[in-house]
Amino acid sequence: MSAITLSGVHKWYGDYHALRNVDLDIAPGERIVICGPSGSGKSTLIRCINGLESHDQGRIAIGDEEVREDARALQRVRIRVGMVFQSFNLFPHLTIVENCMLAPVRVGEASPAEARERAHALLDRVRIGDQKDKYPGQLSGGQQQRAAIARALCMRPEIMLFDEPTSALDAEMVKEVLDIMTALASDGMTMLCVTHEMGFAREVADRVVFMDAGQIVEIGEPTAFFSAPKHDRARAFLGQLIH
Amino acid sequence: MSYVRTAPEAILPAPVVARPSLAASLFGDAASSLATVFITLVALAALPHLFAWAVTNGVWVGDGEACRDAGACWAFLRAKTPFILFGIYPEDERWRPMVAVGIFVVLTIWSLPRKHWTRATLFGWIAGIVAALLLMGGKTIGLTEVPTSAWGGLPITILLTVLSLALGFPAAVLLALGRRSPHPALRWLSTGFIELVRGLPLLSMLFVASIMVPLLLPDGVTIDNLFRALVALTFSAAAYLAEVVRGGLQGVPRGQEEAARALGLSWAQAMRLVVLPQAIRNVIPPLTNTVVVIVKNTSLVLVVGLFDLLSAGRVALSDPDWPAPYAETYLMIALIYFTICYAFARYALHLERTLGQVRR
Repeated sequence: MSAITLSGVHKWYGDYHALRNVDLDIAPGERIVICGPSGSGKSTLIRCINGLESHDQGRIAIGDEEVREDARALQRVRIRVGMVFQSFNLFPHLTIVENCMLAPVRVGEASPAEARERAHALLDRVRIGDQKDKYPGQLSGGQQQRAAIARALCMRPEIMLFDEPTSALDAEMVKEVLDIMTALASDGMTMLCVTHEMGFAREVADRVVFMDAGQIVEIGEPTAFFSAPKHDRARAFLGQLIH
Repeated sequence: MSYVRTAPEAILPAPVVARPSLAASLFGDAASSLATVFITLVALAALPHLFAWAVTNGVWVGDGEACRDAGACWAFLRAKTPFILFGIYPEDERWRPMVAVGIFVVLTIWSLPRKHWTRATLFGWIAGIVAALLLMGGKTIGLTEVPTSAWGGLPITILLTVLSLALGFPAAVLLALGRRSPHPALRWLSTGFIELVRGLPLLSMLFVASIMVPLLLPDGVTIDNLFRALVALTFSAAAYLAEVVRGGLQGVPRGQEEAARALGLSWAQAMRLVVLPQAIRNVIPPLTNTVVVIVKNTSLVLVVGLFDLLSAGRVALSDPDWPAPYAETYLMIALIYFTICYAFARYALHLERTLGQVRR
């Protein structure tokens, strides 16, 4: 069964048609990079997948669990799908380890001791184990984003969504976050990344999805996509990027 | 000039910037010197009179006769303080309001350190409030019954303050959330309540609660006057606090709720564990402001015949055996209010500093 299924998905913001008849099938373990010009619907698409935005038409499913407007169904989806945001969105009033423990204890029914152990292991894995008792405001942007990745992983998701995870970072910190994401990909995590990091896409992605004006206009393997984009808009987009 | 350093520049200590001294701020230039001299002269002119009134001609012991044509009548306070503090509560039973006040003092001091902010402390407060009410009333626990109309002074002020805040604050949080809700009915209801209560003078609400409500009730049904005043105070507290909390909610980025929801937290959990703690931290200063106003607003219940501190003071002043020393009595009552409000403000400042350290 597909990890994520989207079929005939439409979404409007008022009169603005943000997603236009999007179809996509993602297999378990697959790594997808979504790229495209700003305003093309990339973020909207992945925010619909965990129900942060509701779609107006069509069907989205995580495995056999349909994403629909029902509190329990949405919670089941969100437990299975982790998300990392452009602006990190760590909880500033909690320490890093408390950020990681909150959802496992309150939602996942882990005991505090169990959640703490899990948090420590994952914080070590993203290489900020020594920062665990600090508050988010005391960490650099790169460290905060790695903490946010660990926080999402603490719920043991099957799928990870990344919404431009490196766009708010200084150039020097982009690599440390991408390294963590690459390591996660090589562990077999199903990943869906909206990113402008074409080097990452080339190295990690199984498929690159190119969006324009709310539609998927091209899907291809990275080598094919980057060397010979078929769609005019994709060619123009890639031409703008500095490699 | 060379633009590129071939050898590292030395790391230099920062230049010393002198902070203005007290002397400089008092006599730094002509204008401040003039202001300093002027204020000192005014103070020197007033102080001897004040000193003569309060100390030299002040009466410390004696009765009403001794106070006639004298300065400050401190002897009156000595005689009347128990009455001002406990009102017309029967003298033989005064230990009961004393214990009630003691319960609140102990609970307050216990609750100060953050590590005591637990569920157990919350239950302690509920138990303390119930115990104080039972003790003051007396009937339920086998003591002489004292009706609420005979309760008075400090216990009334404390009870009204604590209860209107304890009931008003949770209501305020719900109202603030309701006003931001996407559901129109909830939004209109919350907005309507807040705007209505905010737009009405508290005095008129107290009158409505104490005079109109009994007229509207069917025969034989009565609601305690103290309780009706409490409802009016709670409504007012809830409406004002709700707007402060709403201000705090607006300061929390949307991404916080989204991150919490994306982790699987329910809306209520996201609010309780993520959004509200940040929202309330952001508004500690205006919250303190509103709370202090609420504390002092409890004194308005004197218009509906309840004996809070202020009205007990006024009744004490009507004793014909004494020459009615208003200034002294109001000074003492003012001092009690000031102590409560100032202590609260200092504590809120402490919270602001310790909780506010963690910033984005």
